[in-house]
Amino acid sequence: MQRLPLSYIKPGMKTYEEVIDANGRVLCGKGVELTADHIKRFEEFGVSFVTVEGNPVKLPWEKDLEEELKELEKRFEGITDENLLEIKRLFKEFLIEKYQESQSSENNSNENKE
Amino acid sequence: MNLNPLEKRKLVKKKLRKLEGLPTFPPIVQRLNLMIEDEDSSIYQIAELIEKDQVITTKILKLANSAFYGFPKKVSTVQNALMLLGVNVVKVLIVTSSIFEIIYREDVGLWEHSIGVASCSKILAERVGLKDPQEVATTGLLHDLGRIVQRVTFKEDYKKILELVKNGKDPLQAEKEVLGIDHAEIGSFLMRTWNLPDRLVETVDAHHDLKRTKKFKKEAAVIHLSDILIHVRGYGTSLYQKIPPLQQEALKVLKLNLFEIKDIFFKLEPRLYELKFFTEELRREMEVSS
Repeated sequence: MQRLPLSYIKPGMKTYEEVIDANGRVLCGKGVELTADHIKRFEEFGVSFVTVEGNPVKLPWEKDLEEELKELEKRFEGITDENLLEIKRLFKEFLIEKYQESQSSENNSNENKE
Repeated sequence: MNLNPLEKRKLVKKKLRKLEGLPTFPPIVQRLNLMIEDEDSSIYQIAELIEKDQVITTKILKLANSAFYGFPKKVSTVQNALMLLGVNVVKVLIVTSSIFEIIYREDVGLWEHSIGVASCSKILAERVGLKDPQEVATTGLLHDLGRIVQRVTFKEDYKKILELVKNGKDPLQAEKEVLGIDHAEIGSFLMRTWNLPDRLVETVDAHHDLKRTKKFKKEAAVIHLSDILIHVRGYGTSLYQKIPPLQQEALKVLKLNLFEIKDIFFKLEPRLYELKFFTEELRREMEVSS
């Protein structure tokens, strides 16, 4: 999943969540492959960011799962508080789900290309 | 001159009271205060006053459009910002606008930490049903104000604090040892000197120790937990190299089950992307202007 400024959004990207305008109106559903028309419509309705599936854009600050997990362990070195360790476990679950989504979306787009 | 912590504390407060080494208020603040106190003034009139100051207007709109408030559509006028954020939040932003630039310039890690906490506070405030999530987000933005004051106004002492932390001392303990006062108290002291609303002042004061507030426990618990979640996420940096201690009371006060926190991480992630782009944009603007 990536949330990107509208200027980064290109036809063919797939929405990860609904695209909503200021009045809470849904402009586009979840899992929709975007077309130039969609993007034009978002512009007209003043949408500034769209969340898309996978990692279609290379962002310099993004880390891979391995790096994320390694740094997480470092931040938790010596921590024994049970609640904090539970939060860590939940965060790990979140990370793994986030990266799985990116992975599977990548596989899908590869399949589409073939 | 080697002062003991108690003497040092007095000295720090004296300096803060005189606002030594801190940016001065935009001239508009005094008139704005009068206008806000006057019940007859309308949002339209307040907007008109603010718009006379182009620099402040630009800053306010930039902050109103940042991801930590998370409005889906562009906030394009001051009147709009006043309606969406409330008069009080806009006032806080005007009073503290020059501080944000200092945070960004002096310590990008702390800047990212602060906007991350603001964003997470908004999400948590909504989740637990606090009535003014924008105000809570604004408190999140300011929660480590004391840290930047230490860095800018008490440079030598700050170096000593860093040294102690590097050698494994708890950051709050290190601050108290060197300055006789920690960043939560410095921040809230300054905010009180600036006449900011009690709810913000007390919440900042209690964000590491919920016992320090009676009236605003929930707000303080939201900031406390957000601070920890942003450390867990690894967004930005603060003096804590490890996850800061969690006060169990925070979960009780918020009546939050731990398993709900996973959903908070999912809600937070898209916001953090927006904040990265926001920070990038600021960097480019600063480069152009310098």
